[in-house]
Amino acid sequence: MAYSPTFAWDSERMLAAAAKLGPRALASVRELQPLLTVAMDFDDVGRLAAVNQFFNRRILFAEDAQIWNQTDYWASPLELLSKGAGDCEDYVIAKYFSLLVTGVPNARLRLVYVRLQIGGPRGVVQPHMVLAYYAAPNSEPLILDNLLNDIKPASRRIDLVPVFSFNGEGLWQGVDGPAVPDSIARLSKWREVLAKARAEGFQ
Amino acid sequence: MSLIRQIWVLLFATLALAFLGSVTVNVDSSRESLQTQLRLKNSDNATALAMVLSQQQGDADSMALLMSAQFDTGYYQRVRFTGTDGQVKFDRAVSASPVQAPAWFVRWVGLDSTPGTAQVSDGWRALGSVEVQSHAAFAHDELWLASKRSAAALAAVGALSALLVFWGIGQLRRPLDAAVEQARALERGEYVTIIEPGTPELRRLTRAMNSMVTRLKLVFEGQASQVETLRRQANCDRLTGLSNRVHFLGQLSTALQREDGAIHGGLVILRVLDLAEVNRTLGHVATDQMLVAIGRVLQTYTQRGDGCLVGRLNGADFALGLPVGAMAEETAQAIAGALRAALPAFGPNIGVAIGAVEVSRAMLMAELMNAADMALARAETRGPFAVEIEGQVPAVSAGLGEAAWRQHIKGAITAGRLELGEVPLLSVANQLIHVECPVRLQLEPDGPFEVAARWLPLAVRGRLTTDIDIAAIGVALNHIADDGQPRCINVASASLADIEFLPRLASLLAGAAREARHLWIEVSEGAAMNQFSRVRELGRQLRSTGVRLGLEHAGERLSRIERLFDAGLDFVKLDIAVTMGVAADANRAAFIRGVVAMLHSVSIQVYAEGVGNAADANVLEQCGIDGSAGPWVRAAQAGLPA
Repeated sequence: MAYSPTFAWDSERMLAAAAKLGPRALASVRELQPLLTVAMDFDDVGRLAAVNQFFNRRILFAEDAQIWNQTDYWASPLELLSKGAGDCEDYVIAKYFSLLVTGVPNARLRLVYVRLQIGGPRGVVQPHMVLAYYAAPNSEPLILDNLLNDIKPASRRIDLVPVFSFNGEGLWQGVDGPAVPDSIARLSKWREVLAKARAEGFQ
Repeated sequence: MSLIRQIWVLLFATLALAFLGSVTVNVDSSRESLQTQLRLKNSDNATALAMVLSQQQGDADSMALLMSAQFDTGYYQRVRFTGTDGQVKFDRAVSASPVQAPAWFVRWVGLDSTPGTAQVSDGWRALGSVEVQSHAAFAHDELWLASKRSAAALAAVGALSALLVFWGIGQLRRPLDAAVEQARALERGEYVTIIEPGTPELRRLTRAMNSMVTRLKLVFEGQASQVETLRRQANCDRLTGLSNRVHFLGQLSTALQREDGAIHGGLVILRVLDLAEVNRTLGHVATDQMLVAIGRVLQTYTQRGDGCLVGRLNGADFALGLPVGAMAEETAQAIAGALRAALPAFGPNIGVAIGAVEVSRAMLMAELMNAADMALARAETRGPFAVEIEGQVPAVSAGLGEAAWRQHIKGAITAGRLELGEVPLLSVANQLIHVECPVRLQLEPDGPFEVAARWLPLAVRGRLTTDIDIAAIGVALNHIADDGQPRCINVASASLADIEFLPRLASLLAGAAREARHLWIEVSEGAAMNQFSRVRELGRQLRSTGVRLGLEHAGERLSRIERLFDAGLDFVKLDIAVTMGVAADANRAAFIRGVVAMLHSVSIQVYAEGVGNAADANVLEQCGIDGSAGPWVRAAQAGLPA
C-alpha cells in the first residue's frame, strides 16, 4: 500500500535551517517562500511552471566535484540554494520537494533516471535525471529538466530515454523519525536527502 | 531469616534481575537492528526488482515470471505488483513459521517485516508499484539463537559472580559464626575468647565480647580464690594446711561408705611424743617449723596417688588414709624412716610414734579409730620412731585371679546382669531432678548384685570400665524410655581416658535422641582436675544431644580446677565430706555459700550429696544449693504423698 502523507512546510524551521547555511541560502529562501505560498493556489501545471522557473533561473549548473569535492553528491533543496549551483539530481530533488509542499500529490511525481542523447541518434549519450509529472497514472508525463526552461510532454523529448523512476512513496516511513534516522538507513543517498529535506522544513 | 540467608536472597534477586534485564535489553536491541535490516532489505529488493521489471517493456508474462522467480528463490513472505489503477496484478504469499524459535518467543518479540515498495514503469509509462516483504521467520530464528547464546553467556557470568559471592560470604561468615558461637558459649557458661577478624565491624564486636569474657574470667578467678580461702578456713589446719580433724574424719568415713570406694585401705596415725616438752625446749617457732615438716612428709603421699587423705587430728596427732590394702605397715615404716632422718635437724629428743591399721569396708569409724589408738599406744610405749600394726592384712583378691575377675565382669556385661541403683536427687522444692544410678553387677549368675567397690578396681585394671559405663548408659536410656524419669550415670575416670569411650557414647546417644534429653552424666572431681581436656571434649560432644554433664564428689579441689568455667558443665555435686555437719560449722557454710555463688555465676547448678539431717539440709538450702541427695532426702521423699 502506497504511503502518501499530506505535505506541508514549516516556514520557521526552513528559515532557521537556511540561516545556518549562510546569507545566500537565507536570501533565496525568503524568495522561495512567497513563491510557494502563491503556488499553493495554482493548479498543478501552474505550480510546475513556477517551481521549474524558480530553480532553473536561480541555480547554475555545475558538477558535484566542483561544488562539493565529491563525485556524486545529492544536495538538499537548501544546500542547493546556499551554493547557488548544482547538477541535474540537485535540481530534480529541489523541485520535487518544492512541488510536494505546494500540494502536488506524491504519486504524480517521479524522479527519473534517463539517457540523454546529445546531437541526434548518433550523438553522445550521457546519464541524466529529470522530474516527471503524471497528471493521471496512465497519462503521458510532463518533463521538468534543468537543461530546458520549457516543460514539455515526454513524447516531445526524443532526446531522453527513461531507465528507472522512483519517488518517495513508501520511503517516508523510513525517515519519519526526528532529524537523526538510524545509521544504516542513511547509507542510501535518496533516504539521506529525504531526511535532510524534512529537517529543512519540507514535510 | 538469618543474616547470611538474607544476604543470599538479596544477592540472588539482584543477580536474577540483572540477568533478566540484560537478556531483555539484548533481545530488544537485536530485535531493533534485525527489524531495520529487514526493512532495508525489503526496500532494496523492491528497488532492484522494480528496475528489472521496468526493463520488460510492459510484458506482463515476463514480469510475472521474474516476480515468481524472485519469490521462489528468496526468503519472501509476499511479492505483490499493483497496477496504476490500483488493481493487484500479481500476488504471491506464503506463511512459513520459524523452524527453531518457539511460538511464545515469536509472539513476545513480534518482529515486523516492513514491506519495501518501488515504482515500475515502461519508458515514460507508469505501470504500477511492486511491494516486497521478506519473511521474518529466519530473523526470528536468528534472534532466538542469538538470544539463547547471550542468555547462556550471561548465565555463565551470573554463575561466576554467584561463585564469587559464595566465596565472599564464606569469608564474611567465618568470623560471624565465630562471634555467634562465642555468644552461644557465653550463654552456656563457657568463656571462650576468639581471634579478632579482619572486618572492622566484626572486629569491634569481637573485641568487646573478648574483653567482657576476660573480665568475667577475672571475676570468676577472684571468686575462686575467695572460695579457696574459705575452704582452708573451714577444712584445714591453720599451721600445716592439712585437713583438720572434722574434715579428715568426714573424708575417711565417706571413703568407707561410698559404693565405689575401695574395699580395703589403710590408716596411719602419727603422734609427736611429748609435744609440750618439745615446745618448751625448742620454742614456739621451731616447734611449728617441725610440725610443718612432718605435714610435708605426709603430704608427699597425697601427691603420689589419688585417694590418699592426710590430716592433723590435733596438736600432736597426724593421720594418713590409704586407698589400698596391705600397704599400711610399709607406709608407716617409710614415714618413720623419713622422720628419723629429718627431725633431728630441729633439735634433740624429738620422736614420733606411729600406729597403722589395715582397714576394710566392713569396719565402723569408731572401731577403726579404736584400733588406731591401740596401735599408737603400743608404739608410744616402745619409744621414738616405733611402728605398731593392727588388723589383718587382706587376702589378695579373695582367692580369684585377675583373669577370672575379668571373665566374671565381662560375663556380667554381656549377659546384661547389670542393675542400676536408685538414689533420688531432689530440688529444694522437693521436685525430682534426677535419679542417681550407681551400677551394680551380678558377677556370678544367681549371685548377689555387687556394688562398685567390689569390682571397680579390677575393672579399671582390666580396662573394662568403658564397657561397663556404656552398658550402664544403655540400661539407663531404656529405663528413661520406660518411665521418662531423668537418670544420672557416673562415668569412671578410666573410661574418660579411653579413646573408644566418646565415639561409642556418641553412637549410643544417636540411637536414642529423645531419651538422651533426660540423661545426666557425671564424672569425678579428680577427673576434671587431671583430664580437663577430656572432660571438656565430652561436654562439647554432649552439648548437641541435650545430655547434662557434671562433677560428683566435688568440693575439695573445685577452686583449683583451672578454667572450670570453660568446661561446659551443667552441675556440680558437693561431696559428703563437704556437706556433712555443715549446720554445726559456720566456716563450712561460708565455704559452701562461696562455692554456690561462684558456680551460679557461670550457670552451673550446685547439688549436695549425702545430706543426713534436716539441720544440714536447712543450712544448705540457705547457702543456695539447688538440690540434694542423701539419707535425709530419701526419708523426706518417703514422706511425700505418692
